[in-house]
Amino acid sequence: MKAMKLLVVLTVLAMLFTACAPAATPTAAVKTEAPAVAPVDEVPAVCASDAFGCAVFAPGEVVKLGMGAPMTGGDSAFGLDISQGAFLAAKDAGDFNGVTFEVVAEDDGGSPEGGAAVANKFAADPAVVAIPGHIFSGATAAAMPIYEKAGFPMLSPSATNPALTTKGSPVFNRIAFTDAIQGAFAANYLFEKLGVKKLALVHDGQDYGKGLVEVVAKEFAALGGEVVATEAITPKETDFTAVLSALASKAPEAVYFGGYTTEGAILANQMKQTGLENAVFFGCDGTYGADFLERTGPNGEGAFAVSLTPPNTEAKLVFDAAYEAAYGSKPGTLSPFSWNGYDVTAALISMVKSVAVVGGDGKVYVPRGALVAAVRGLKDHVGISGTFTCQENGECNASGPLFVVVKDGAWVPAP
Amino acid sequence: MNESVPLPIARKGSQLLKYLRPTFGVVVLLFILYRLYSVLVIRHEYGADTWTRLLITGLIIGGVYALIAIGYTLVYGILFMINFAHGEVMMLGAYAGFFVFEALKSIKVSSEPPLNFSNANPVISIIIAFAVGMTVSALSGFLLEKIAYRPLRKAPRLVPLISAIGASIFLQNAAQLLFSPQLRDVTNPEILRRGIGWKILINGSNVIIPYTGVFTFALSILLLIGLYIIVRKTKLGRAMRAVALDKKTAALMGIDVDKTISQTFLISGALAGAAGVMWGIHNGLVYYFVGFIPGIKAFTAAVLGGIGNLPGAMLGGLFLGLIESMGPAALGINFQLKDVLAFAILILVLTFRPSGLLGEVLSEEKV
Repeated sequence: MKAMKLLVVLTVLAMLFTACAPAATPTAAVKTEAPAVAPVDEVPAVCASDAFGCAVFAPGEVVKLGMGAPMTGGDSAFGLDISQGAFLAAKDAGDFNGVTFEVVAEDDGGSPEGGAAVANKFAADPAVVAIPGHIFSGATAAAMPIYEKAGFPMLSPSATNPALTTKGSPVFNRIAFTDAIQGAFAANYLFEKLGVKKLALVHDGQDYGKGLVEVVAKEFAALGGEVVATEAITPKETDFTAVLSALASKAPEAVYFGGYTTEGAILANQMKQTGLENAVFFGCDGTYGADFLERTGPNGEGAFAVSLTPPNTEAKLVFDAAYEAAYGSKPGTLSPFSWNGYDVTAALISMVKSVAVVGGDGKVYVPRGALVAAVRGLKDHVGISGTFTCQENGECNASGPLFVVVKDGAWVPAP
Repeated sequence: MNESVPLPIARKGSQLLKYLRPTFGVVVLLFILYRLYSVLVIRHEYGADTWTRLLITGLIIGGVYALIAIGYTLVYGILFMINFAHGEVMMLGAYAGFFVFEALKSIKVSSEPPLNFSNANPVISIIIAFAVGMTVSALSGFLLEKIAYRPLRKAPRLVPLISAIGASIFLQNAAQLLFSPQLRDVTNPEILRRGIGWKILINGSNVIIPYTGVFTFALSILLLIGLYIIVRKTKLGRAMRAVALDKKTAALMGIDVDKTISQTFLISGALAGAAGVMWGIHNGLVYYFVGFIPGIKAFTAAVLGGIGNLPGAMLGGLFLGLIESMGPAALGINFQLKDVLAFAILILVLTFRPSGLLGEVLSEEKV
C-alpha cells in the first residue's frame, strides 16, 4: 500500500515537472538540435552566441506577441481596449519572409497572481517572442522576473507605477508616462487651476493607486496645499459611505482618487450622499472611460480624469477609422490606452523584424537576447501617440497628461 | 466519548489559559479605552453629523448581514454544518433581481412621455423583483441541499463542509460562465434612485438618509420578525425546533425530518435571495463574486451572535455592521482596517464567550 502511494506521488511529481519543463526547453532545443538536423551554415551564427538562443519559425508559422491583460471583471475595459488596438497593429504589420504576427491576449485579471500565471504560460510557449504588456502595474511587477529569465522584452502601454523602472530590469520598457509625472501634474492642476487648498486622498491599496497618491501628497504639500486625510479602500467592495463620511468631516475641497473605474465610480456616486456633494472628484488615467460615465450618470458631472488621447494626426485618423470599423466603438472610450496598445505592438514588431535573420533553410530566426537589447535601444519610433526613444532605465516617454472633465455626460478636455 | 477523562496536558493548558485570558482581555480593553479617549475626548475628530452618517451606514449594512447570517444559523441549528455556499445563493438572488428590473425596464408603457413599466408601477416592480429573487434563491438552496448535502448526511461532519466549499466555487464559476464576468448596474425604479433621501441638518451639514437604505433596513427587520414568528408560532417552526433538538426523537414523534430540512433550506434561501435583491438595489452592482464577501461577513456575524441562535444572528449582524462603519472612526485607525477590526472583535468575543454573544452551551449530543 505504501509503495502504491509512493508511486502515485512520484507519477504526479513527474507530470508536474514535464508540465513545467517547456519553459526552459525551447531555447535549449534550438541550440542543440538545430545544428544536428540542418547543415551548419543554415542556422545563423547569431543563435549560437545569443544568451537566450533563437525562436525559430518556418514559413507560414505565426510569431506571437503575448499580452497579459485584465480581460474579465470590473476593469476588463482596459484589457479589451488595449488588446483591440494591439490586434490592429499585428494586422498592419503584414508578413516577414513568410511568417505573420499575432497578438495573444491572456486574462491576468489585473492582479499580481494572474500576472505571474500568464507570464509562466507565455514563457512556456516557444512561439512567443515579446510582450506588449502587461496592462496593470501590479501584474507587470509580478510578471517581470519571469520574462527576465525567459528573455522576453516587454513594452507596456499602460503600467505606470514609478518603481517598475527603478528595479534595473533589462527587459521592462514602457511608453506610458509614469505616475510620478502624472501625480506632479495633477497636484499642480488641483492647486493652481482649481484653487484647491484642502485635499483628501483615497487609494485602493494597490501598486498603481497607492504610488500615485503618494506622489500627489508630496507634490501638493510642496506647493503649499494641505492634505487633510489619506484613506485606503478595499477593492471589489461596493459600500464606501463610512470612509467618505469620515473624509467629509475634514471638509476637503477635492477628493483625489488613485485607482480604477470600478471603485472610482462608486466613490463618485457615494460622495453625493455623504456630505461631500460640493467636493470635486479628481481621478486619474485609471478612472477615465465610458464605464465611469455610465455608472455615475448625473453624479459624475464635474469629475476629473486623465486622458491619453493624442493629437489628430493622419496616422491617428486612419487608426480611429479602422478601430471603429472593426469593433464598433471609438478608440479612447473604453479606456484611454487604445492608441498605446497599437503603438507598443507596432514598435515591438518593427524591432522583431530588425533583429530577425533568415537562415539558409528558409526559416526565420529571432535571436531573443538581441531582441531584448533592440527594444531597449528603441530610437525615434514614430507612433500614433508620440515619438518614442527608450532611455537606459526603460522609460520611453516623458510627455505630460491631458486632464479631462465630465460635462453634460461626456468627457471633454479640462480648461 | 461521554465520560472520557481529560488528558493531563489539556488540564495544564487550561491552567495557563486561566491567567492568560484575563491578562489578554485587560490589555485589549485598556488599549481600546485609551484610543476611544484620545479620539473622542482629546482630538474630538468627528462631529455629530459624521457619527450620524456612520450610524446610518452601519445599520443598513448590518441589516443585510443579519438577514444572511440567519441563513447560516438556521442551517447550522438543524444540520450542524456551515453552509459555505450561502453567499452564492444570495448572489443568484441578486442576479434574479437585476434581470427582473432589466426586463421591466424594457417594457414600454407609454412613449410620450417615455415611461417604462418599472417607473410606471414601481411598487409592483419591486414586489416582482423580490418575489423572483426569493424564489430563485429558495429553489437553489433547496437543490443545493438535495444534491450536495443530502447524500453526505451520514458522513463525518467535515465532508459536507468540503462539499459546501465545492458548491460555492461551482456556483461562482457557473454564474461567471452564464452571466459573463462583467459588473452589471442595477437600474432601480425612479422612486428608489440611489443617493437621494431625506435630509436632516446636523451641525450645519446635510445628513442624507438614503431611501434605498431605509427601505433595505425596514425590509430586513420585517423579514426577521416574520421568520421569528414562523419559527416560534407555526407547525413548521415547531418541527424545525424539534429536529434541531434531536433528529431521532423527532422522527419517532412523526416528524418528516427530510422534509423539514428541505423546508429550512427553502426559508434560508429565500432570506438570502431577499438580501441579494436588496444588495442590488442599495449598492447597485451585481457580479458573480458579489456574494462572497457578504457571505463571509454574515458567517462572522452568525458566529459572533452565537451560531444556531436566531436573535444572536440578528444581533451579530447589526453589531458587525456598526463595528465596521463606526469602529475605525472611534479608534482613529485607517478605514481599510475595518475587516481587521471586525475579525479582532470576533476573536475577542470567542476568547471570552466561545459560544458567541447569545449562544447557549451546547449539549453533549450536539457536540
